[in-house]
Amino acid sequence: MLSVTTQMFVRLQVMIQILKDMGITEYEPRVVNQMLEFTYRYVTTIIEDAKIYASHAKKSNVDADDVKLAIQCRMDQSFTSPPPRDFLLDVARQKNQMPLPLIKPYSGPRLPPDRYCLTAPNYRLKSVQKKVTPSTNRISVPRLSVGGVSSRPATPTLGAPSVQTVTKVTAPVSLTNQRFTVQIPPASQTSTTKPTTASTPAVSNVLINPSLIGSKNILITTSMVSQGDSLKRKHEDDDDYDNL
Amino acid sequence: IRLPVFSSAHAHFICKMAAVQGGLVDAVEEKTIKSEPVADATANNSANDARAPSSSPGSGVSPGVNKPAAGAAEDQQTLLAVLQFLRKNNLSESVEILRREAGLPEDSLDQKGGDSTGTGLGGPEADGRTDAGSLLSRVTVSSSAPSKAVAEDQPDVNVVLSAYSQQGDPALYEVYYSGLKKFIETVLDCHRAELSQVFYPLFVHMYLELVYNNHENKAKAFFEKFSGDQECYYQDDLRVLCSLTKKEHMRGNETLLDFRTSKFVLRISRDSYQLLKRHLQERQNNQIWNIIQEHLYIDIFDGMPRSKGQIDAMSGSLAGEAKREANKAKVYYGLLKEPEIELPLDDEDEEAENEEGKPKKKKPKKDNMGSKSKKQDPNAPSQTRIPLPELKDSDKLDKIMNMKEATKRIRLGPDNLPSICFYSFLNAYQGLTAVDLTDDSSLIAGGFADSTVRVWSVTPKKLRKVKSAADLNMIDKESDDVLERIMDEKTASESKILYGHSGPVYGISFSPDRNYLLSSSEDGTIRLWSLQTFTCLVGYKGHNYPVWDTQFSPHGYYFVSGGHDRVARLWATDHYQPLRMFSGHLADITCTRFHPNSNYVVTGSSDRTIRLWDVLNGNCVRIFTGHKGPIHALAFSPNGKFLASGATDGRVLLWDIGHGLMVGELKGHTDTIYSLRFSRDSEILASGSMDNTVRLWDATKAFDLETDDFTAATGHIHLQDNSQELLLGSYMTKSTPVIHLHFTRRNLLLAAGGYNP
Repeated sequence: MLSVTTQMFVRLQVMIQILKDMGITEYEPRVVNQMLEFTYRYVTTIIEDAKIYASHAKKSNVDADDVKLAIQCRMDQSFTSPPPRDFLLDVARQKNQMPLPLIKPYSGPRLPPDRYCLTAPNYRLKSVQKKVTPSTNRISVPRLSVGGVSSRPATPTLGAPSVQTVTKVTAPVSLTNQRFTVQIPPASQTSTTKPTTASTPAVSNVLINPSLIGSKNILITTSMVSQGDSLKRKHEDDDDYDNL
Repeated sequence: IRLPVFSSAHAHFICKMAAVQGGLVDAVEEKTIKSEPVADATANNSANDARAPSSSPGSGVSPGVNKPAAGAAEDQQTLLAVLQFLRKNNLSESVEILRREAGLPEDSLDQKGGDSTGTGLGGPEADGRTDAGSLLSRVTVSSSAPSKAVAEDQPDVNVVLSAYSQQGDPALYEVYYSGLKKFIETVLDCHRAELSQVFYPLFVHMYLELVYNNHENKAKAFFEKFSGDQECYYQDDLRVLCSLTKKEHMRGNETLLDFRTSKFVLRISRDSYQLLKRHLQERQNNQIWNIIQEHLYIDIFDGMPRSKGQIDAMSGSLAGEAKREANKAKVYYGLLKEPEIELPLDDEDEEAENEEGKPKKKKPKKDNMGSKSKKQDPNAPSQTRIPLPELKDSDKLDKIMNMKEATKRIRLGPDNLPSICFYSFLNAYQGLTAVDLTDDSSLIAGGFADSTVRVWSVTPKKLRKVKSAADLNMIDKESDDVLERIMDEKTASESKILYGHSGPVYGISFSPDRNYLLSSSEDGTIRLWSLQTFTCLVGYKGHNYPVWDTQFSPHGYYFVSGGHDRVARLWATDHYQPLRMFSGHLADITCTRFHPNSNYVVTGSSDRTIRLWDVLNGNCVRIFTGHKGPIHALAFSPNGKFLASGATDGRVLLWDIGHGLMVGELKGHTDTIYSLRFSRDSEILASGSMDNTVRLWDATKAFDLETDDFTAATGHIHLQDNSQELLLGSYMTKSTPVIHLHFTRRNLLLAAGGYNP
């Protein structure tokens, strides 16, 4: 048996020869090592799979059929190839028959519906301590959501460290004119204790129109939200988020 | 035996199926005369039987059993097929009776394949006729038998591959090929060049047939003997073929499968074609004739045969040349009319210049650039041909800026070359994979192999993010400089890094209004980034394979992308699925560009063709062949009439889109050309390449030609060898390949590349 280093040397030579045969003349030295690693990984995966198939078929030795099956399964899994041409032609024909959709004028940033965008917040802050106030006082539950629909009044707060639950947007968002509504807490932090009607959270609808250069149609409105207001945010049960 | 239900026209097909599935392969062995490997038990060979006798030299079969054409041929085939079936089932008496009654000659079985396709070849209507004959040959071995012959219904690889299942004796392939070679060598000089075009596709198809039918050694011998004869520009393909020795190797290779199913197009003059046909039909060379029928599409034209030079200029692609009809559709290559824009803001400038403080009369000037004539350009698409976004105020301001800059533009020419400013990306270590600049040259973005996208500001003005929502609430919205106030000064920096992709970023494109940046990556997604917040807004998923290039349309809103799956897709920023799919290429799409009027998209591919697609209905309106390597650079001239393309073969080819012809060739680069750009008024064409040079070419002279009717009708081109005269300058960089070129609005040339010591 050749020593380990000699074996490795032989393998290196084989790989270099393969690269030459395939017409690749310029490559970094690391490439040979990468190719060797790849072949080692590939061959061991195939042989291990083949062993599994052989044992499944209750054979004592691994034979060519097992290896063939292993290769075939791996091909379908890791080394997929793009769809065949006739299939693509068919799909293309269907798609190209539909007329190009008309473009709505003056619609702000033209982006797909929110669920296909990556613009939603992907985090929430867990509440640190449980509230002692009774559950009827829903106002105190802070919220941050992007334009959610609400059925009950709720007080959005953001920034107050103690009682915080930032909810993730889980429901489809209803956007008007594709505006991003971000609710901003009122300046005062007394909302946690005040009753509903008194505490009117200030909510700003920040309309970010990307066409900012030269245009003055940035609409930043501040609207006051009170009970049953048209401004929507999703009201979710506080208890859901305690069981984490 | 399973007998699927067919119309009577397919009766012969039924017989074949029966024979195959009954597994009565061996029954007809007495017909197979020569050394055909009987051990090859695959049912494929049952289909051989019909042909095998004809191909044997010793069979004494008179090949000239010229069956009557058209109508009778079908019936004859049916009878022959029935005869075959009976014979296979050892019903010898019935065979005799049938033969006697039908009046078929003794060895009539041999001619099944040859004559059915003997009629109506070459012209565009060939396909319909060849199907009848080739139906016989496409015996599907797999269980997908009942369906109609070919691969239209199901993307079943077996069906596609099994078209190779008929064949003659493998040992004789070499003989046929040599025979053809000898014939072509003896032919008149003027025809030889044209007929030599046949060698390459024939060689490949014969080789693939041998491989598919498991004649590995014969295939290798065949390859060794004849691969050296092929044209030098097919070497890369041949190398790939060389490593393909077993049937299983063919399975995963989509390009090869596409090559096999699409017909290789050859353009041959009528005289040469007659010569070839006569030769092949009078000899025992029906095998070659069959292959030609099935896999080649011969586009015949009347006129002088082409010279070798002319042929070489146009050939090189994986699918042969382009059929003449492919380039006949009308293309609206004109530009859209510029909208009339008033210039009310001119008074600001005037006031600044006016130091005396005299109140100037505010007179809005009308924009009179570009919309002088009220008439519609007949070659321009109408404004509403495809829906385009309307101009916002900011866009109008941009246009005004553009026009102002245009007045200060330098006129370039052979005696007034542009200055070149080169942006070298240091410490990129070959990781710089894509670069783009905004139209007003204020931002430069680079896509890298470590999956990041970096944006730099070219001007001294730093990059800032928009303030957070909380802060935005507190600013005064009515102030004049609200646009500066919304920017957060704390985030000012020279460059920003955008993270999000999970693979190298291969394509990058700014939107014309500088609000968005697109990047396409090896992970199969295209990401839209906002340049206000420097965050990712959308990930467009559709390609499941690396996306090699993407570009925004010149009017914004639409963008095109092309990748490894051989399909280019047209998207709109507000649709999460593509609007159009441009499918037709045989190999990866490496480069995608919009036409200046946004109505057409051009794609360059690894199959060495360039296709022009219509955005309105997804049709391919032009196919340009001629490059000998994958195409990596495409550029439209600003007037929309011409296209320049660069590939790995180091040549820049110039195309006239209206006529669909090649009009010029610029030789000079020694390595792949990665970037091409026309100057703002089409005077100069700049090309940047891997050989670390930027070359400037005289575009006005290169395109200054008249296309006469003959050229337009036949597609014969006469290229002048004037690359040297057209070359205006060649500028070396210090070991930095040139990846991107950009002319500023004042015709200063900016170039970018990653320093590669």
